[in-house]
Amino acid sequence: MRAQRAEDLLSATVRIYRALLILLLPTGFNDAFADDMLAVFVELDRETRSTRGNLAAILALCSEIPGLFRLAIRERRTRRTIRAHQATTHLEENMFDSLVQDLAFAFRSLRRAPGFAITAVLTLALGVGANTAIFSLVNGVLLSPLRLRQPEQMMALGEAPKGTKPNTLNTTSPGSLFDWQSRSKTMRIAGYSGVGGVLTGHGDPEQLLGTASVGGVMEVLGVQPLFGRLLTVADEDPASPRTIVLSFETWHRVFGDDRSVLGKTLNLNGTARTIVGVLQAGYTFPGGINEFWTPSAYDAAFRANRDQYFISVVGRLLPSSTLEQARAEMGTIAGQMSREFPLFNAGTRIVVEPLKETIVGGARRQLFVLMGAVAFVLLITCANLGNLLLARASGRRREIAVRQALGASRSRVARQLLTESVLLALIGGSAGLLVGKSFLKLMLAAQGTLNLPRAEEISLDSRVLAFTLLVSVVAGLFFGSIPAWQLAGGRSADALREGTRGSGGNHFARSALVVSELALAMVLLTGAGLLMRSFGLLRRVDPGVNPDHIVTFYVSVAGNPTFFSSTLERIRGLPGVQSVALASYLPISGRGGGAWFNRMDRPLPEGVRPTGAPYRVVTPEYFNTVGQRLKSGRFLQSSDRADAPAIVINEALAKRYYPDESPLGKQVYLGAPDNRVIDHATIVGVVADTRDAGPGSDPFPTAFIPFAAKPSWPSFYYVIRTTADPASIMAASREIIRAADPKIPVRRVQTLEEVVSAAVAPARWSTTLLGVFACVALVIAGLGVFGVLSFIVTQRTRELGIRIALGASSTSVQRLVVGRGMLLVSVGLVVGLIGAFALTRFMSTLLYGVTPTDPLTFAGVGGVLLAAAAVASYLPARRATRVDPIIALRAE
Amino acid sequence: MADDRANAPLSTQVFHILLSLVDDDLHGYAIIQDVAERTEGEVRLTASTLYAAIKRLLETGWIEECRERPRVDDDARRRYYHLTALGRHAARAEALRLERLAAMARDKRLIPAARVAKPASS
Repeated sequence: MRAQRAEDLLSATVRIYRALLILLLPTGFNDAFADDMLAVFVELDRETRSTRGNLAAILALCSEIPGLFRLAIRERRTRRTIRAHQATTHLEENMFDSLVQDLAFAFRSLRRAPGFAITAVLTLALGVGANTAIFSLVNGVLLSPLRLRQPEQMMALGEAPKGTKPNTLNTTSPGSLFDWQSRSKTMRIAGYSGVGGVLTGHGDPEQLLGTASVGGVMEVLGVQPLFGRLLTVADEDPASPRTIVLSFETWHRVFGDDRSVLGKTLNLNGTARTIVGVLQAGYTFPGGINEFWTPSAYDAAFRANRDQYFISVVGRLLPSSTLEQARAEMGTIAGQMSREFPLFNAGTRIVVEPLKETIVGGARRQLFVLMGAVAFVLLITCANLGNLLLARASGRRREIAVRQALGASRSRVARQLLTESVLLALIGGSAGLLVGKSFLKLMLAAQGTLNLPRAEEISLDSRVLAFTLLVSVVAGLFFGSIPAWQLAGGRSADALREGTRGSGGNHFARSALVVSELALAMVLLTGAGLLMRSFGLLRRVDPGVNPDHIVTFYVSVAGNPTFFSSTLERIRGLPGVQSVALASYLPISGRGGGAWFNRMDRPLPEGVRPTGAPYRVVTPEYFNTVGQRLKSGRFLQSSDRADAPAIVINEALAKRYYPDESPLGKQVYLGAPDNRVIDHATIVGVVADTRDAGPGSDPFPTAFIPFAAKPSWPSFYYVIRTTADPASIMAASREIIRAADPKIPVRRVQTLEEVVSAAVAPARWSTTLLGVFACVALVIAGLGVFGVLSFIVTQRTRELGIRIALGASSTSVQRLVVGRGMLLVSVGLVVGLIGAFALTRFMSTLLYGVTPTDPLTFAGVGGVLLAAAAVASYLPARRATRVDPIIALRAE
Repeated sequence: MADDRANAPLSTQVFHILLSLVDDDLHGYAIIQDVAERTEGEVRLTASTLYAAIKRLLETGWIEECRERPRVDDDARRRYYHLTALGRHAARAEALRLERLAAMARDKRLIPAARVAKPASS
């Protein structure tokens, strides 16, 4: 147990150090000292970490390495001398020695060129870090299987009315669910629905969110309890005792890991329920907050209900059947049902999709675009690394030539150079892992608003580590091989000749690399530019409400009809409250509950299924409070009576149901014929649309029902427009709710600004990420241009000197260098444009209001790239004009 | 960093290790801390350089491993090192050599004559 803990506590740096010790030092030395060395390093590492942070700990590890190599070489040399006496030489040992030598040499030479080493490691760290973070995201969300038993068998089912997209998965009614369940021969089918409940008897009353099982869904899912048992179909009998299963987190939080809770009762919504089981930690389905599971307890009438659509359905394929068979079977069942219950099921399909697909499907495009973007960043990084290595190689031509002249074989030199680039890639890769870790942490910190499915399952795991290391080693090998091949193939005599500076040969290679960097940066910038334009347009969409100075909170009360009206009055009396209203659902935050919308003046023919519209129960002040504008007629009034109800609809609803006439004065009812939410209601007003489906989507056709007609509605959002500080209003409001009933919790406190901003959070998230990647790409590409031009200037110093000596003006010299830079950019720009044209169409679903080939964005991005290149060319150009002809020519 | 040879003059690191062991028997980490403290962070030994030096010092017999543990409550796995008479002699010889060098520099007025090295605090 203790040893296990100690192992866990070892930091990554310590583990690397231990690995190096085992790898580098001969066994004899290790037996004597390795434990001590490790112990000392552990303490050094701990001290460094606690006083100067993680980065310092990595630097401390790096500073250990040269000493370690010296030690390794010395120890191995000693051992070889001893062994020479015994006249045995091991080839393996020799190879290893030269590897250690290569590594030590590589370290020394990198230390001698810190500018180069730091630039290379930093760019690599950025590229690899971004990749690690995004790959972790993709891995957690898209690649890893759902944490259910045999997750590949799990399907999601739903109904889809006529005219909807093929993968629409609407919730269904209890009647339909039980029919599907009893008729299917290819799947075990069950359902679930979200439920809330107020937990009392454990400190402050607390609103919990949970799931109700319908038809034994826990057995179908194949969940394993930590202890106790799961809910079964038998629990759903209204006559059987009330039971509950807790999530691991709820159990841990409320009962502090006490296993004796089994059989104890817990008070939820005033009902005592027996705790029969606790789920394992990390169990996530169906996602989001899920604090408990209770069995549904429908009576026979409700089991046959077909007009309340709230049940989500899953099915587990039997081992003998396939997805195609299940789809065919459900098609048949849908046909039967539309014949048997035409009012409810005419023209309705039953959709079967793999469960994982329905959970992560929406995020796929977004993640793939990000994945593509980071892959581009990594490519640019690698190109830049190759460029740096080439530049360095040409500076070292003489050194290599000397080594070859002294008898180093070509392969030995190539190996040395390769070792250097692999070492660089490994250091960069490890630093990248660190960057990736912090980057992921940052991204997940924004997760509260980002709506990414399975976000709770994202973590940096070993596959990601392997991926990063692989990428950086392959990058090192690939880009190291270019200069290694060039140099080792060179004729040493040429390089040794006085006055030769570098080779002209890698001129082309370097320019080609810079051009590809620029082209890649262009593509990335275009992607980011399009997202930014689209985000800007999204932000400018009028949400239809005025969210300024509005605070909202949610309260759920059962069986206290006067609670809402009395607390509303008292909040209205608070100083600083301009107006206050109740709404069953907040604007901008989604669809909310709905019902069939029926015109009483034009009943549908027999057998035609009505269409539904979301509705909100609101008090009359609601529209003025949120700032929703009146288009015609009037708002709801407090004089509207429950027995002759008035309703207000939005423009989208007016357009859908009354396309060519005025809806004012028309009578409607909402709901099924035998189960009406509101009956004989007169439309008295039409209000402007609010962007409830998000700023980029069409508004839902929505009806507004007066609170007076639905006084027993169980839960409401309070919407308060204030002139005072929202925090003080919130405190006073909480006090009012507490005074009315101390058992009732206040939940989901937020300003309407927050609600509006949350609606664009996913767009903001991808825009910011792509923007960051594009900036990194731009900087790296700019560095590339700068590097190549500086290199050219250095290489042509003599030529420039002659030109200046012969009277070339500084402008013409500058033009020479900048012109060269512009040539590179132009080629990169053209290639990038073609790439961007080809690739941006994959983003079309992420865009709003701009086409993937938006000319303005393309032009703007081109301009940015040109400007960056101009800046990058300026410094080398200025240096070129300062070439002193005397100094430049002195060597001749 | 120059490669240090086994014979004198001693490398800075070796000299500092010997100095640390003059008053007290110490374990590896304590040596690093002591050196860092004494030089106000100027000389920071790494675990690798420390044990490279310790191995050679053990081989030349200038230090030895303590058979008795100085503190009973300490981590049992730690090894403590003790400065032998030979080691003490070598450290003293090195100190005198450095002092002679400093005196010469002072004669040449390279460093102010008035400045006398601080007496070693105990």
